[in-house]
Formats: sequence, structure tokens, C-alpha cells
Amino acid sequence: MADLWTQLLGGFATAGTPINLLWAFLGCVIGTAIGVLPGLGPAVTVAMLLPITSQVEPTASMIFFAGIYYGAMYGGSTTSILLNTPGETGTMVTAMEGFKMARHGRAGAALATAAIGSFVAGSIATVLVTLFAPIVADFAVTLGPPEYFLLMLLAFTTVSAVLGKSTLRGMTALFIGLALGLIGLDQITGQVRYTGGVPEFMDGIETVLVAVGLFAVGETLYMALYEGRSTTDLNKMGSVHMTKQEWKRSIPAWLRGTVIGFPFGTIPAGGSEIPTFLSYATERKLSKHQQEFGTTGAIEGVAGPEAANNAAVTATLVPLLTLGIPTSVTAAILLSALQNYGIQAGPQLFTTSSTLVWALIASLYIGNVMLLVLNLPLVGLWVKLLKIPRPQLYAGILIFATVGVYGMRQSAFDLVVMLALGLLGVVMRRFDFPTAPVVVGMILGPLAEAQGRNALSIGSGHWSVFVERPLSIGLLVVLAAVLLLPRVWKLMQRR
Amino acid sequence: MSDNSTTTTGQTLVGIGALLIGAVMAWGATFIPSDAGYAGVGPNALPWLVSVVLMVCGGWLVWEARSGGYREMEAPSGAASGDWHAVAWVIAGVVANAALITTLGFILACALCFALAVRGLRIAEGKAGGDAKRAVLDLATGICISAPVFWLFTKLLAINLPGLTTSGWL
Repeated sequence: MADLWTQLLGGFATAGTPINLLWAFLGCVIGTAIGVLPGLGPAVTVAMLLPITSQVEPTASMIFFAGIYYGAMYGGSTTSILLNTPGETGTMVTAMEGFKMARHGRAGAALATAAIGSFVAGSIATVLVTLFAPIVADFAVTLGPPEYFLLMLLAFTTVSAVLGKSTLRGMTALFIGLALGLIGLDQITGQVRYTGGVPEFMDGIETVLVAVGLFAVGETLYMALYEGRSTTDLNKMGSVHMTKQEWKRSIPAWLRGTVIGFPFGTIPAGGSEIPTFLSYATERKLSKHQQEFGTTGAIEGVAGPEAANNAAVTATLVPLLTLGIPTSVTAAILLSALQNYGIQAGPQLFTTSSTLVWALIASLYIGNVMLLVLNLPLVGLWVKLLKIPRPQLYAGILIFATVGVYGMRQSAFDLVVMLALGLLGVVMRRFDFPTAPVVVGMILGPLAEAQGRNALSIGSGHWSVFVERPLSIGLLVVLAAVLLLPRVWKLMQRR
Repeated sequence: MSDNSTTTTGQTLVGIGALLIGAVMAWGATFIPSDAGYAGVGPNALPWLVSVVLMVCGGWLVWEARSGGYREMEAPSGAASGDWHAVAWVIAGVVANAALITTLGFILACALCFALAVRGLRIAEGKAGGDAKRAVLDLATGICISAPVFWLFTKLLAINLPGLTTSGWL
């Protein structure tokens, strides 16, 4: 415990240097801005900024990226309350009650409970990360390739089969991602695969290329093709404050949301969609103000899910840092940022790069405070961003996309690949394919393949290696449960 | 995609697309040696798995499309049919950028991309694309965005982006 304390203080010392504070602040500002703006999410923003990993030192850039990740959650709730166009799946639920509150002149209270709730949940979740991550890391050291392989399979399964509505389309998306991940050199034998003789493909497809192509370019093309005439109207903002009664209703909802959100972030069950919906359902059941839900908007319905969202987002850092397994798109891109530095995320990270890890954790505490300050008094300023006309906004996104893609490898060829991936993104969105499995599959695929083949090498080619250790059997059971339970549940409901 | 027949065609085509990708992957996998070593599975194992699964998924998608459409499908947002005229301008912008970035430099190529894309997106909103004056204004706006970005990334972060001149400012 005392050890933990010294390490955390050391982290604060690193994160508290003026230059790192500046990176954290910059990250929070950019994060909030892109959270507010439609069309860009934290994942694609971090992806666009990946080229800086060649110049900026790892600790500073991870603090920067984490600020963006976090800031986007705060900013995203502003948009979903005022505009009813949730950018992130996690803020979808916020839009349900928050938008209704804003419609009935209570936008200020909704914005306040969202921001303060995010702060409360984010801070508690950061404390939990501080306490639990080292323990998980200690435990994770005992895991071998078979367990890692199964954990990654679990991440694949949840991200593709459980989250989306259609398992078939989720699987298709996942395997498209795995296919993209195959391009380049095989990690173990150095064998060239699927380069088609194009030298640019030898190093594989860059993460930034896929993220920017699918999300930023895809979004812009989709906007031009289908959404040009869709209009959105902006709700009026009131003063951002809550009455005593509203505080009283918010606080328990925040705490419940945190409790619901955190566990979901730590397990490879991907994303904050499930916990936010669960939190919403809980609040709806427990509330004494049933009549407000779905009509004038209930404050608990904003407070709970917002807290759950932030707690889950923070908790994704646990599997990312201790196991090297990303459970969301943004986490997957953070993982590839670490890879750019040659840093292998996993249990060793806490010993080999402990300065980085603790500075990152400390920066989360700092970032939460910064974001609360940035978002409560200054919310009016952020809302002005929504006044940027859409054509200019989306065309501007293309410029930033070019920086990210071209800056990474200085190859004009990559810009053509980016366009192709953008078209793929349009098709996927039009036909309701989830895009997260593509990114997770592409980044995690090569790692899973290496672990799987290493595991089989250990077992000298016998697949029984996956059932010989108690932990791997346990993981197989979980995997089967994740695959089968939702289906059994559905069948039972149909009766 | 308002009427049912186009939906079916579109969905079938997407399924065929997945099937084709799987088939190409399978063809590519035949060139990868199996060289399995101790593991019993070599560098060609995952490629084969991916290609087979993609072909199965593609076939299944085609079947779903032909038998009442994709299951649990959420209606896509936006207009029923695509505005191909508008999107052509945006695509032209990206293509022009890719083709000219090394010769014109980052700032000018991106400004051109911006101007073309803005025109397309404006047309998508049902407004006029704009006359020559408008185009010049768009180009200027594009430069106002791309120039600071260029300086920020090349000067401050030392990231390599191409310039028109070697001065480092344009």
C-alpha cells in the first residue's frame, strides 16, 4: 500500500511538470472540442495525431491522448443533450433523457449533472484503477500464451457478436479487420503476406489509415451522399446549475452509475454501451419520478448513464495497461500508439515503464479536474463550435485526415487507400455493419495470432494446450457463456 | 434504398463483396508457405481461416438478403437515395490531394481538396455549388486552415509534410 502511494506520488511528480501539464491541458481542450463537434470521435482524433509519436516522448503523448479520450466523453454529452446526435455509442442514452430535459428548458441542469457526474465517476474510477491495476498486473504475469490467446478471443467475441445487433454482420466486420491485419510481414516467421507486390504494404496497414479512412473520410462521404438535407436543431441553453432537489436526485444516480460502469470497462466486454443502458434501466426502475422518464426528461436518466459511461471508459485502462488487450476502439488505438514506441503493453509495463504508467494514471486525476473547469463555466463557448457550417467542418476534417495519414509514412499512396477505406466505411454504415470490430480485429489480430501460435508451439502442436490449465478452461467456459447466453435468453423471452 | 427491390440488390451485392474478398484471400493464401514448425500451424493458417469465414459470412449475407433482407437491421439514417453528384466532388478533392500533394505541397493541395469537398457538401445540402468568387473564397478558407496546421506540425512537432518550396513555410 505504501509502495502504491510512493508510485502514485512519483506519477504526480512526472505528470505535474509544466510541459506534461500543458500536454494534458491541450488534450482536454482538443478532446472536448472534438467531443462537441459532430463527425469526429476520440478514436479517430487520436489516430490522426499518431504521427506525433515519432517526435514526442511516450509519457507526454500518452498523457495527451488520454486527455483527448477523456475530454471527448465530456464534450460528447454536451452535444447529445443539446443536439440529440450522440457521437459516441456511450452517450446514446444521455441523449434520450438529456435531450428531453433540454426541450423542456432544463438544459442547464442536464449539462451540469452530466459534467459533475462524469467528474465524480471518473475520479472514483481512477482511484479504482490505481488500486486494482497493479494487482491485475501481478496476476497477469502468471498468464501464458494460451490464456492470452483465449482472452483475445473473448475480446473478439464480445466486440463483434455481443455488442452489435446482428452477429453475422459483426463477424463479417471482425474478419474484414483480421484480413487487414494480415497484410504485411508475419510476426513469427517474417513471411510476406498479401502485399500484392506493393512495397507500401510490406510494413502492414497503419492504424491511422484504417481509423481515419473508416471514420473520418467515411463520415464525410456519407454526409455528402445521404445526410446533406438532414437538419438538426439546437436546443436553447439555460444557466448551468442544479437546484438542491436536483443534486439530491443526481448523487445516488452518479454512484450507482459508477458501480455499474466500472466492472464493464475492466472485462473485455467492450465499450460502454451495455453499462450505460443498464444504468438507465436501473435509474428508471428506482426513480420516484417515473412520470418524467421519456416525457419531460428525468435527471437521473442523465446522471446515471453519464457516470456509468465515464467509469467504464476509465476502467478500459485496466485491461489495456495490464494485459495489453483493448476493449474499445480508442483503447485499441492507444495500444497501437504504445506499439509505435516499441512499448509492449502487458503486465511487464508496470515494471518496465512504471514512470509512464503512473504518470498516465496521475494525469487522469489532473485531467478530470481540468475537464470539470473547462466544461462547467465554459460550456457556452463549446456550444459555439456547433455553429460551424457543416460543409466547412467536414471538408476541414479531410485536411486533418491528410495530416494524420500522410504524416505517418509520407506516402501519397496511403491517401488513395484512405479513400478506399472511406468508401468501405460508407457501405458498412449504410448496411448497418458495426465498425469497431474492424479496428479491434486489425490491431488485436496479429497479436492474437502470435499468442495462438506460441501457445501451440508450447503444446508441440497439440490443441489440448488450451484445456490443460485450469485458467484456460475457465476462460473457455466464459467464452461459451458469452456466445450462448444471449441466445438462450432470447429464446426464453420468445416463449 | 426506399423500395424493397433495391434494398435486396444492395444487400446481395454487399454479401457478394464479402464473398469475393474471402475468395481473393483464399487465392492469396495459396502463395503463403505452411512452414509450421513446432506449432503445427504456420503463417498460412490464419489467412485460410479468415478467407473461409469471410466466404461463409458472404454467402450467409446473400442468403439473408434474398430471404427477406438482413436480420435485425436498423434503417440507415439520411436520404433514401445517394447524392452521387455531391459525393463526386468530395472524392475528386481527396484524389486531387493524393495526386498533387508531393508537387504542390501540403498547404496548396489540402486547400484544393478543401475547396472541392466544400463544394460537394454544399451541393449535398441542396444549395448551389457557387460561382468562381465562391471557389476563390473556399480556396482561401482552405489555406487559412491548412497553413497553420502545416506550420504547427512541421515546425513545432517536426513531422515531415511536403512543401511547395524548400523554405519550410509554403
